[in-house]
Amino acid sequence: MGDLLAPEGSVEVLLGNEAIARGALEGGLNVAAAYPGTPSTEIGEALSKVAKKVGIYFEWSANEKVATEVTMAAAWSGLRSLTMMKHVGFNVASDAIFTLAYAGVIGGMVIVSADDPHAHSSQNEQDNRHYAESVGLPMLEPYGPQEAKEFTRIAFDLSEKYRIPFMIRTTTRVSHQRAPVRLGKITASGKKGEFVLPEPDRYLQVGAIARKHHKELLEKLDRIREEVAAKDPFLKFYGDEDSDFGIITSGVSFAHTMEALKLTGIKAKVLKLGMTFPLPEERIGDFLSGLSTVLIVEELDPYLEVRVKAIAKDYAPDVDVLGKLTGHMPRVWEYRVRTVLEGLSKALGIKYPVNFPEIDRRSSKVLKRVPPRPPVLCPACPHRSTGYALRRAAGRAYFVGDIGCYALLFQKPFRVEHVTHAMGASIGVANGLNIATENDVVALIGDSTFFHAGIPALINAVHNKRKMTVIIMDNRTTAMTGHQPHPGTEVDAMGQQAEAVDIEKVVRSIGVDFVKVVDPYDHKATEKAIREALKHDGVSVVITKRECALLTVARLRREGKKIVPYRVDPEKCTYCRVCLNTFACPAFVDTGKLVEIDPTVCFGCGACVQVCPYDAIVPQEGSLNWRDERIGV
Amino acid sequence: MELEEFNIIVSGVGGQGILFATNVLAKAALKMGLDLTQSEVHGLSQRYGSIHTELRIGKKVWSPLILEGTLDLLIAIEPLEALRMAPYISERTTVIMNTHIIPPVGAYLERFDVPDLDEILSLMSELNPKKVITLKASELAEKAGDVIATNSVMLGAADGSGALPFPDGLLREALEEASPPRYRDLNLRAFDLGREAVRV
Repeated sequence: MGDLLAPEGSVEVLLGNEAIARGALEGGLNVAAAYPGTPSTEIGEALSKVAKKVGIYFEWSANEKVATEVTMAAAWSGLRSLTMMKHVGFNVASDAIFTLAYAGVIGGMVIVSADDPHAHSSQNEQDNRHYAESVGLPMLEPYGPQEAKEFTRIAFDLSEKYRIPFMIRTTTRVSHQRAPVRLGKITASGKKGEFVLPEPDRYLQVGAIARKHHKELLEKLDRIREEVAAKDPFLKFYGDEDSDFGIITSGVSFAHTMEALKLTGIKAKVLKLGMTFPLPEERIGDFLSGLSTVLIVEELDPYLEVRVKAIAKDYAPDVDVLGKLTGHMPRVWEYRVRTVLEGLSKALGIKYPVNFPEIDRRSSKVLKRVPPRPPVLCPACPHRSTGYALRRAAGRAYFVGDIGCYALLFQKPFRVEHVTHAMGASIGVANGLNIATENDVVALIGDSTFFHAGIPALINAVHNKRKMTVIIMDNRTTAMTGHQPHPGTEVDAMGQQAEAVDIEKVVRSIGVDFVKVVDPYDHKATEKAIREALKHDGVSVVITKRECALLTVARLRREGKKIVPYRVDPEKCTYCRVCLNTFACPAFVDTGKLVEIDPTVCFGCGACVQVCPYDAIVPQEGSLNWRDERIGV
Repeated sequence: MELEEFNIIVSGVGGQGILFATNVLAKAALKMGLDLTQSEVHGLSQRYGSIHTELRIGKKVWSPLILEGTLDLLIAIEPLEALRMAPYISERTTVIMNTHIIPPVGAYLERFDVPDLDEILSLMSELNPKKVITLKASELAEKAGDVIATNSVMLGAADGSGALPFPDGLLREALEEASPPRYRDLNLRAFDLGREAVRV
């Protein structure tokens, strides 16, 4: 909603991620690259929209490691660069990042890690603060959009000054929080740099040279600890400075803490850390020495807590350090204001500002009557058709899924995912299951994920003469994160025409001799292709190719075409419920007497027509049939 | 303006334009010079699952998440998703609810007996909200030209309910500015129908 390019001095309501993008533009950004991943995606989305106008370069890279290598090369060329990734994306990039800390940079470089406590949109809750210490990268943790923008801008200057990339670590509630942000001056540009070696061995990380650079890295971090970590704006005090009860916190936990203090009127002295690696040990020690008790408020691991405990040993051995290790705060899932209130209650025995037991009693009674509504595949989603065909054609196979919307095919009635693990893992795990068992093995992978990490595992399968079937569900976009282009699409992240890498050609060139491309909306053809693929003695690939339905609908609307839903003919519907039990489109409504289609949900694709044994699903005047009319393929 | 805090949730099913509606409310709050924080959902969890956004406005708001029991206004574009917000609802909550139920397809597969509107309203009353306003927002959106404008109908209803701390015309103006040109007229028609439907 906010205008990312609004002039200096104006106030815009920005998402935390948009604020990071703006901070980069104010910090003189030249080159940015990333692979989309929730909750980091909107940083790239924002840059992708303005890149051409501002003159910077932005790409959606094939994966996070490539994005890191692209941007670190830009930083080595004296340019300012940015890459951003979700927490698990950092795992992919980490091979490049660990050694980058030794190499250092010339131009300022910022690496954003957006963590996802609560695993809202992720496969785990990993806490990437450990990476900062483990790699040796200074880490800043903003608590909201304004700080996200400031920290990013300042990080570029600091990175360039100390010649080391700076890490910004956010969490979902920082990245996906919208708030007013006061803007500064945009200094980004599309200038070119020069690759100049500061010393002949700067970028040659081998034995003796790496050993030297490791030592140098530690010295840099010591300087940053003294010169940066202990100072404003990265270290701030709030609350009542005379209190002997203290709280140390950072990130969005700080916002929850302030809210809890406001609601209860508790007098506490609050230390908010903005730089959480390296930690300003002396300042923390001074803070502790005036206290009798300190509560550490942080999500996920007791990262600050164990470090504060160690500092307390030297500076204030009598202070009680309370947190996760003492059972005052939970170790899993994201925090809310209530979490902090409960922690304060355990520490101080406070009275709650609202009646939690009464709220819990009332709401649990009501919630028992509310059916769960987990995310499901959208109406018209081509993956639903692929799942339908897979269930019919390969019901007994071991199904190995991957990361993407199609992970939802683990749900009833499809149940064609036994595993969802990591990007590209479907094909790798299928390799192993084929070695370890004698069952049919099917890997399911999306187009963007295939480019990201699927190709090496497919090469592995061909080379080792595996017998397995890979379904590449090519919906022409990176759908789950909000439709970013990928190497297989005709446009790039800046909206320019790009070379679309053809998945079928890639697969054939690897040496797969069974390759079929089908429209998943053609249920018979898809089922037949899968049956044949399973019979093939070797690696077989079926590419189910049809654009994400949300893109199709958006295009139809843009073209001014009316979306006319299908309907169920009550004369023909026998209430056999085959449609619900095998296809389960969210537009189907079970009335108890027959099945209806909710016209507010149906996209009018017509794929379900094939599912009804009594031909009871019929078009209305103006309904399209996406399969027959070749819409979306 | 001196407003300590006003907490709003917009809830519904992914795809109902919940985020857009919340953005319009935030835009109006900003026009009044209020502080605000808004929490929203992106990524996998928005695919036709239950979704809600939280918007807090006031003199100074810290946490982006609303404390249980302190909701002032619930705008529910789908009635089951109104009930799901139960922990937030209390005596201070005004509930504005679209009556069009979208039963989750999973409920059928799990043999879950989905409550009808009467039961939903009776369950809602057990939470003691200040006021419950219902309207046929999906039908009104269809009347305005397209069911995708249901969110704008709900914004109109919120505006007409008098529950919002905004002066007359401000929310409509924010909607007009936030709407893409292609949808501007549709959204405003829908807003007016929603506003009309709840005005006493």
